[in-house]
Amino acid sequence: MKRSLDNATLVPFFFVLVLAILPVVFLILLSFSRGWTWPDIFPSSFDARAWRYVMSPHSGTWQSIWTSLKLALITTFINLFLALPAGNALGRYEFPFRKLTEILLMLPILVPPVVILMGLHRTFIRLSITETLAGVVLAHVLPTLPYMIRSVTVSFSKLGFEWEEQAQLLGADWSKRLFHVVLPFLMPGIIAGSALTILISMSQYVITLLVGGGQIITVTMRMFPYVNGGDQATGAAYAVLFALVALILLILLDLSLNRLYREKRL
Amino acid sequence: MELRMEKIRKKISAGADFVMDIPLLEVGKGEFFGLVGKSGCGKTTLLKIIAGLMTPDEGSIYLQEKEITGLAAEKRGIAMVFQQDRLFPYMNILENVAFGLKMKGLSKKERYQRSSVFLSAVGLSGFENRYPLELSGGQRQRIAIARALVTTPPLVLMDEPFSALDPNLRKEMRDLVLDLHREYGMTILFVTHDRDEAFYLFQRMAVMKEGKIIETGSPRKLYESPGKIHTAHFLGIENIFEGILHYDRFSTSHFSMKLRALSPEKKKGVLVIRPETIGLGTYPFPSDGEGNILEGQITGMNYSFGILHIKVNTSQSCSFDLTCTNQYKDLKEGDRVFLSFPAGELVFLPEEKE
Repeated sequence: MKRSLDNATLVPFFFVLVLAILPVVFLILLSFSRGWTWPDIFPSSFDARAWRYVMSPHSGTWQSIWTSLKLALITTFINLFLALPAGNALGRYEFPFRKLTEILLMLPILVPPVVILMGLHRTFIRLSITETLAGVVLAHVLPTLPYMIRSVTVSFSKLGFEWEEQAQLLGADWSKRLFHVVLPFLMPGIIAGSALTILISMSQYVITLLVGGGQIITVTMRMFPYVNGGDQATGAAYAVLFALVALILLILLDLSLNRLYREKRL
Repeated sequence: MELRMEKIRKKISAGADFVMDIPLLEVGKGEFFGLVGKSGCGKTTLLKIIAGLMTPDEGSIYLQEKEITGLAAEKRGIAMVFQQDRLFPYMNILENVAFGLKMKGLSKKERYQRSSVFLSAVGLSGFENRYPLELSGGQRQRIAIARALVTTPPLVLMDEPFSALDPNLRKEMRDLVLDLHREYGMTILFVTHDRDEAFYLFQRMAVMKEGKIIETGSPRKLYESPGKIHTAHFLGIENIFEGILHYDRFSTSHFSMKLRALSPEKKKGVLVIRPETIGLGTYPFPSDGEGNILEGQITGMNYSFGILHIKVNTSQSCSFDLTCTNQYKDLKEGDRVFLSFPAGELVFLPEEKE
């Protein structure tokens, strides 16, 4: 059951909301500004120059959005493929060094991924997968997989074995158990893990640059020089675009999966 | 025979190590059969072996004369109700009940029609669109029963289905299961460690101990003439005394009594005295010709549901539990009383060899 907020939780909630919304509001203002200097509270004049550039075909924006999407989705699928068996083992089975294994699988995010990748880079070059989509996908799996494993593991430990036993006794063979019992139970974990993967993958800069060698251009890659190099309006426009793409992707993910498995009151 | 198990062996190593060993267990068609015993005696394991969730190391299982030993659980068509309701939380009540029919590939219309029949059989029609977490524990267990019965399985296994429920609800649920059994005539194999439940429900039952079936029979027969000490213990008889039978006299260091049993040579064993067979008087009985009369002092009294439970010490270290209807309103602790033991009700069990 969901409860309604009382005042004690409402005040901090409001505070957090302001903290979350204010930067976005300023980003949108910035993207439409033509020079916004101290001590003005609001930009002195507006125009749509930055947006016109970002939306124009020769800016390569659409291509980079598509690249970002491709990267994020392929990374998510690979993560699922790897994390489901791992989560099953970690969440439902007892074996020697289980806890240690869990910690080891967390290592890629405990150690900064860039550091690991610096070492991996030579191997990638030897395998000649640098400057390819495959290489970048592989590099994106590194910092995202631990999150996926973590959330799927929790779901598996909640699932246990008893639900499958029950379904079996009601005549469900393994494929029906997978479809009617296992997947619905794992869905919250899969959604959480996928959302994290998509967001983290989309916001990678250094890793994409390093492995992609400037050949794989994501939205973040397009945005970075502008944020860094002085054209703040264009940088802000890219940032807003980035947020929109991520938001739409998350909403679609949530809707489609919930539609598939009418997920109620779990 | 609806269910027959032959020479089942299974090594169990959960907590206590022992080997389950069932030479033969038969349950007739339409029978309400109980498996009773203390927790950890292997009764749930036996149920899981029948259901197909565990495989025996040796032996064979037959359902309706067809061997099912190696058959996957989902192909056996045996239903099972667990201690927890195990309703799928993301499905509504109707979908939950209809799940078994869906797995069988019945059309939606047919599924829902049959499910509503069983929903009303457990008294919960109108709950179709609710979700499990909106229901009380008792209601959820009713749904679990409906879900198990909806496919009209030849055999329904129940593993202490009511032990997680409120005691007041249990009687209601027992009556419900008895009604359903009467109406649909399915074979039920019911596991419990609760002897009240055993007496209330079962036509026949098997008493288990450490993976073995000690004795089988109707609850009444097992209570009135137990063949094993463990059975008497399990059914709550506390007057069990070790001693020696010689001819027709049974003697302990505290008393000696005349029995109907006879043994020409001295035989070690125990005497089992059911508490309701002991006669109680406040002044000396006229001799009954058998001399089975003892004098003692009331050391404890307890009244429940019209029955008096009295504890009488006949000597420093020898006491009897007895029950009687509430006709002795004036008795109180410390009173001196006389006990009589009808020879025909005394059960002698020879010493058991391990």
